[in-house]
Amino acid sequence: MQPMIIILKDGTDSAQGKSQVLSNISACQAVAEAIRTTLGPRGMDKLIVDNRGKATISNDGATILKLLEVIHPAARTLVDIAKSQDAEVGDGTTSVVLLTGELLKNARTFIEDGMHPTIIIRAIRKATALAIKKIKEIAVNVKADDAKEHRALLEKCAQTTLSSKLIARQREFFSKMVVDAVLMLDELLPLNMIGIKKVTGGSLEESRIVAGVAFKKTFSYAGFEMQQKKLLKPKIALLNIELELKAERDNAEIRLDNVTEYQKIVDAEWSILYSKLDKLHKAGVKVVLSKLPIGDVATQYFADRDMFCAGRVQEDDLRRTQKACGGAIITTVENLEDQSQQVLGTCEVFEEMQIGSERYNLFSGCPKAKTATMILRGGAEQFIDEVERSLHDAIMIVRRAVKNDSIVAGGGAIEMALSRTLRDYSRTVPGKEQLIIAAYAKSFEIIPRQLCENAGFDATNILNKLRQKHTENNIWFGGDILHEDVSDNLVAAVWEPAVVKINAITAASEAACLILSVDETIKVPKSSAEPSNAAKAMNMD
Amino acid sequence: MPSVGTLAFDEFGRPVIILKGQDSKKRLFGIEAHKSHILAGKAVADTLKTSLGPRGMDKCMVSPDGDITITNDGATILSMMHVENEIGKLLVQLSKSQDDEIGDGTTGVVVLAGALLEHAEALLDKGIHPIRIADGYELAAKIALEHLDKIAEAYPLDLAKLDPLVNTAMTTLGSKIVNRCQRQMAEIAVNAIMNVADMERRDVNFELIKVQGKVGGRLEDTLLVKGVVVDKTFSHPQMPKEVRNAKIAILTCPFEPPKPKTKHKLDITNVEDYKKLREYEKEKFTEMIKSIKDSGANLVICQWGFDDEANHLLLSHDLPAVRWVGGPEIELIAIATGGRIVPRFQELTAEKLGHAGHIRELDFGTTSDHMLCIEECKKSNTCTIFVRGGNKMVVEEAKRALHDALCVVRNLVRDNRIVYGGGASEISCAIEVAKEANKIATIEQYAIRAFADALESVPLALAENSGYSPIKTVSDIKAQQIGQNNPRLGIDCLNKGTCDMKEQSVIETLIGKRQQISLATQLVRMILKIDDIRLPGESEE
Repeated sequence: MQPMIIILKDGTDSAQGKSQVLSNISACQAVAEAIRTTLGPRGMDKLIVDNRGKATISNDGATILKLLEVIHPAARTLVDIAKSQDAEVGDGTTSVVLLTGELLKNARTFIEDGMHPTIIIRAIRKATALAIKKIKEIAVNVKADDAKEHRALLEKCAQTTLSSKLIARQREFFSKMVVDAVLMLDELLPLNMIGIKKVTGGSLEESRIVAGVAFKKTFSYAGFEMQQKKLLKPKIALLNIELELKAERDNAEIRLDNVTEYQKIVDAEWSILYSKLDKLHKAGVKVVLSKLPIGDVATQYFADRDMFCAGRVQEDDLRRTQKACGGAIITTVENLEDQSQQVLGTCEVFEEMQIGSERYNLFSGCPKAKTATMILRGGAEQFIDEVERSLHDAIMIVRRAVKNDSIVAGGGAIEMALSRTLRDYSRTVPGKEQLIIAAYAKSFEIIPRQLCENAGFDATNILNKLRQKHTENNIWFGGDILHEDVSDNLVAAVWEPAVVKINAITAASEAACLILSVDETIKVPKSSAEPSNAAKAMNMD
Repeated sequence: MPSVGTLAFDEFGRPVIILKGQDSKKRLFGIEAHKSHILAGKAVADTLKTSLGPRGMDKCMVSPDGDITITNDGATILSMMHVENEIGKLLVQLSKSQDDEIGDGTTGVVVLAGALLEHAEALLDKGIHPIRIADGYELAAKIALEHLDKIAEAYPLDLAKLDPLVNTAMTTLGSKIVNRCQRQMAEIAVNAIMNVADMERRDVNFELIKVQGKVGGRLEDTLLVKGVVVDKTFSHPQMPKEVRNAKIAILTCPFEPPKPKTKHKLDITNVEDYKKLREYEKEKFTEMIKSIKDSGANLVICQWGFDDEANHLLLSHDLPAVRWVGGPEIELIAIATGGRIVPRFQELTAEKLGHAGHIRELDFGTTSDHMLCIEECKKSNTCTIFVRGGNKMVVEEAKRALHDALCVVRNLVRDNRIVYGGGASEISCAIEVAKEANKIATIEQYAIRAFADALESVPLALAENSGYSPIKTVSDIKAQQIGQNNPRLGIDCLNKGTCDMKEQSVIETLIGKRQQISLATQLVRMILKIDDIRLPGESEE
């Protein structure tokens, strides 16, 4: 008898062949299934509770997939493309997953029929290239010269994104806000310069945007209430220094052999603190913000001199204040007076304000206002969280649209146009690829189909109407959710930046190809599971 | 029926695990999810229903530690109930945000949200898409809010004539346990607010009003101190119990020889040195007393303690002193008396002293408890409401009731428009919304009509709690409102013989009502939008 040769570690799970591809496809479809109802203006939300009992209510594909904790290796690919879509363009995360799922579903029959995956992959690549070319060809360029028109474009893109979110009813209001915020930024449009602060209570319409910085009142010591709460044109010092009476060095020990020395040491400590405070005061600083704590002595010192201070300010808030008001974050107060021009910031008005039950520090009228803060209001915490996610999507879309002003019509219109183009093209291809490109064309129809299904319409009926319209070269016809009909979505101002679609199609095709090209999965078992669990338990203790 | 999570099968028909812990996760989907949410929401709302209105009942809650709370404040009840259900938690947050923003109407908002959910259930059974229901609700809410603006009346805010304000506060207090001395409490609340209100900015700083409670006495003994009440006594029993024309030194440094913060060690090698140290300490004490005396102060308030020796010295120098006064209280005293907080003795000067006309110790019955009462302050815009009551529960509940009343008065200062209570404004809105509903051409019509019905749930609950036949009373009043075109008719809860709420002076603030409607609608939209709920199973640990 021949001896058995063990190549893989005992317990390794390996699956291969055609059936493996098929099973991977089923897994991906199951994931796509989980989020399909979130698509479109009539899409629903998911409530997911994690193991720690934290609940999230969301409509954002990437957020949901992240929270689902997918462990199937092939299905994880879908989570990854949703994440990359989120990082790259911010919106369209649900559509990219749906599209991949549908592509795989249509490829399945060919695999079952014994077609080689590489042929399918080649055809998909070809079709993708064609689709992208088509998008670039038909995308409408909106003239960006006119500031007003440019703004209208941005607002419409933001509105399209927001229409599927919880705040769909208030989308006009929020799209204005988002566009305002993005336009305030500098060339690079850094995302972290838009601060979003959440205050529960109040209605959505009470949300506001501050051209400048706002942050929550920090922890304060006695004496804080006596400080000035409104200052005009103050000089602002941003510090990274602790203004507290404390041991200068932690491990130092002073040895005294004489009582008279005692008082000197005490005085020395006080004078260290006081000289810092004096320098700030002399430089004409009116508002002192510090990343590190500001102690009670300092608070009272400032209160005495009509200055305002806030310690333990969050780092990103401090940084945004610096961006808005100019100046620099100072690590020493030496020579402050001489350099006050360079290192101190300023703004028109500084004010402490009550918003809901919280108090906020507001800096407005900043000279270098390349930053904006949105203060969101709303009923419940989870509500505001979801609003924040929605606005994030809208901000990302607007940022994209600012740089790239070519747009396509949403609501399934662009997908139908692509579907038609590819179908027409497939007829001209001899060989197996014809079938696959036709299937690819069909896959695009999932977007309008799902939109209709979520709205409770007869999807087949609407799709037939759409196909008919598109054959007549009405390329911008898409579903009209409000009237259960089809309409020209370019006229109806359902707009999306073309780059979002291009990215979605590329990502979806790549993911589909990746999954199709895998024919074997080798899963190495966890190295002797029992002791590792025990080790974990020990670590936990 | 809890459906199983996402399932997919591989080529051998074995289920593929896609999500982590898939078997143990619970999932509710589609209409099941909606039904379960609505049930949860209704259950929470039903608990609160009986607390509504002047004839509403209280709830008694026992915490895990055995502490008892008796209250009829919606927000307090919900936060103490420790709701586990996710949808229930949303309602808890809803009432909390009403509490944060407005302070009153926390029960009403939950009852309204519950009613909206209840009516949504019937619509779902008819087969209407949940988002269309939510859309309809928002349309209806808009109509209702516009109508509220129309029927709202501007309210004379005259500093000389506080009666109208007192009436509003009385409406709020009407449903509370303190309604025995409703008038007195209302007057206290109004006076307190007027004392601190900044009429120019139309803002009220709540930090300036302190509500303190002490068990003992009767509710009628509750009083408003225009100044500060500190739960402390003079440090030495022989110090005078009363000081007139006090000049107060407010110190945040301890009465002891100053110590360096850095670790230090004093080596004493001989008796001489020891004596010197003794001398030094004594000298420091006298120096401190002297600096206080020199500044002209005749009362010392200290954040820290001092030992018996210092205490004795103070007494012998006729300096009454209070020790261990907390940070926030120090601050209040400083603001009230116009003094400055002094961090060290060297800085003590005459300008930094606070002034108060009258400082006395309050005794309570036969107990040995004393409290210090600082009155006739120089800048007397802080005040303290001192609540008395038979037991701890009553005092606590009275404090909550006063808080509500204070909030209502503050809201009137901010926005002096009012609507009439007793369900009058709800009925009026319901009539208007139902009328407008007929003009809507789409399916939303049903939802709008349901909204009108839901609005009536508040007057219905009021009537029921007051012991009337709810349906009959409400329909009566509705007919009268339409007949007389008088939006001021409401439920005559106290059987005073008139339904006109203007005559009964049952008044609520417009912003409070607006907030209730918009918050409840927002939340219901959020709940209706969820169609998929995933819960973790039993955790593996």
